[in-house]
Amino acid sequence: MSRESEILDELYDHTIDGERDPVVRLTKEGIELGMDPGVILFDSLIPALEEVGAMFEEGTYFVPEMLIAAQAMAGAMDELKPLLLNSGIKPIGTFVMGTVKGDIHDIGKNLCNIMLEGAGFTVVDLGVNVAEETFVEAIKEHKPQAVGLSAFLTTTMPMFIPTIDAIKKAGLRDDLLIWVGGAPVTQEYCEHVGADGYAPNASVLVRELKAMMGIAA
Amino acid sequence: MDRRERYRRITNFQEADRVPIDMGSHVASIHRFTYRKLLDHLQDPELKGKEEIVLDRMVQNVIPDEKVLQRYGIDFRWIAPNWIDMSDVRDDIYRDMWGIEWQYMLDAYSVYSSPLSGDDVTLDSIERHPWPDPEDPRLVEGLSERAEHYYKNTDYVLVGDSIKGGILTKALQIRGYEYMFADLANNLEFAEALMDKLLDVYKAFWSSFLKAVGPYIQTVYFTDDIGGQSSMMISPDTFRTLVQPRIGALIDHIKSEADVKFMYHTDGTVTPVVEDIIKMGVDILNPIQTSALGMDTNVLKELYHGRLCFHGAIDVQKMLPFESVEGVRYDVARRLYDLGRGGGYILAPCHNIGSDVPVKNMEAMYEAAHELGQYPLDLEHILKPEHLRKPTQEEIAAQAAPAKRQRRPRKGRSDA
Repeated sequence: MSRESEILDELYDHTIDGERDPVVRLTKEGIELGMDPGVILFDSLIPALEEVGAMFEEGTYFVPEMLIAAQAMAGAMDELKPLLLNSGIKPIGTFVMGTVKGDIHDIGKNLCNIMLEGAGFTVVDLGVNVAEETFVEAIKEHKPQAVGLSAFLTTTMPMFIPTIDAIKKAGLRDDLLIWVGGAPVTQEYCEHVGADGYAPNASVLVRELKAMMGIAA
Repeated sequence: MDRRERYRRITNFQEADRVPIDMGSHVASIHRFTYRKLLDHLQDPELKGKEEIVLDRMVQNVIPDEKVLQRYGIDFRWIAPNWIDMSDVRDDIYRDMWGIEWQYMLDAYSVYSSPLSGDDVTLDSIERHPWPDPEDPRLVEGLSERAEHYYKNTDYVLVGDSIKGGILTKALQIRGYEYMFADLANNLEFAEALMDKLLDVYKAFWSSFLKAVGPYIQTVYFTDDIGGQSSMMISPDTFRTLVQPRIGALIDHIKSEADVKFMYHTDGTVTPVVEDIIKMGVDILNPIQTSALGMDTNVLKELYHGRLCFHGAIDVQKMLPFESVEGVRYDVARRLYDLGRGGGYILAPCHNIGSDVPVKNMEAMYEAAHELGQYPLDLEHILKPEHLRKPTQEEIAAQAAPAKRQRRPRKGRSDA
């Protein structure tokens, strides 16, 4: 087995184990050996995070394990991003993300961001307590394919409604996929507020968003 | 029937005259917005214009007035420690005695900053942190007199609420949620040292608190959330190795100092570890968040009746804010039927009655609880057949932690 394919295997295992230091070290080693950054991303890191997502959905992994895997992935992405930009690999889309006004919970949102980036999206994170007009401005500026609204509380998830209204009023609703998520949110609530998609966790978001956009898994 | 006798029978898994009814803890009282609406609705001249007393600034709930508690026939009275050393940092931000800062948003406060957050925090940082003095007499000032008064002059069941937070919850807030979750996976030495420190603080607090109220209270209450919406927040293994031994040690400590039942609160779904919760010495589990995945009251009763009592089960997340009055009544009937047969159940809202709950639904909940909670329970004529059957083997099996599997080998795009 070549060192290159060993690196891909080791990266895969260390990412799933959430070991940031070896993940960063192996990524650097791969780059130094002249490996294609797209191969490192698509043949090792993304499959690793998909496996992490599957383990989370199946109940083998929980927030701590998923979080450190995502952090390890983020470490590798810091190394790869400049090269990916130069190598002409186009992002598969732009995703504007934010926690709605009145809510400052962000763990779920941050996990989604890392998974989306890992899957090849450019993520514009607006942070927490994001006002309707901030979403509107960001959509105007970044022209995303999708926007994600996050809420952790039953009292803040109604903010989906004025946020989506503001997007509609600004004439930005057509051709934009609006996704909602957060602990109390359900598929029914997603339909109630007129969003396009609901995901109970980060890996479902990535998978179903890609399916909705017609991008192969 | 004397309320304490009712409670004694129910918690010994016998039926009494009716199912006991509760409200008023740090995490299950009424939000002040709803409380104002409630007082407007009640049109009681004595309550009108009376200043509300905030029970927990973070969630903005109130200590319900005695008249309100009596109106809804609440069988419990809660004795909570006093809040000390809170300071305002900004108009919308306050700091609590742990050094955690909380920011106001919409209708409640959320963690704004955590004192032990950051990459450069070490074991020494835990030692150097200005911890609150758990034996500070201001924490328990006046509580002994209050508890003694209730004990001698009323028949209410008395519960000692904790200083808010738990060993894991407080660690998450002090360290910051993302840092602490990561520590639980890759910085165990720090995570354990922080939780050990918190265990020491809570033990010393409970000694001091029980010295004041121990002879009068029947139950103690301790919150430490381990459940999430669709799975536990931490793995069953992490719970068993890191959290359970520490909460267990606290329970042993408390029970060695007072003759009390231990009520443990965790939101969310916890089905894989209910056996472990029983093993660690919990008598009553609260709040049975029925809106979380797997918290099926029918199955919980089937598996744990006779070993664990249930407190709560009236959902404030997906049911009370949105249901019709008839829907609320039906849900109350269903929980009474599932959990109340043969005792072992205290009816209460799962969490604070939030600012999104209509007053009429809150009233419907307590009205139905009194009307339908009389023993012998007579609910078969109300409930649909699907809510009157025994749980299936599949439903019972779904409570267990899923089987672990080996990770799949790497398969990249170029291998496809």
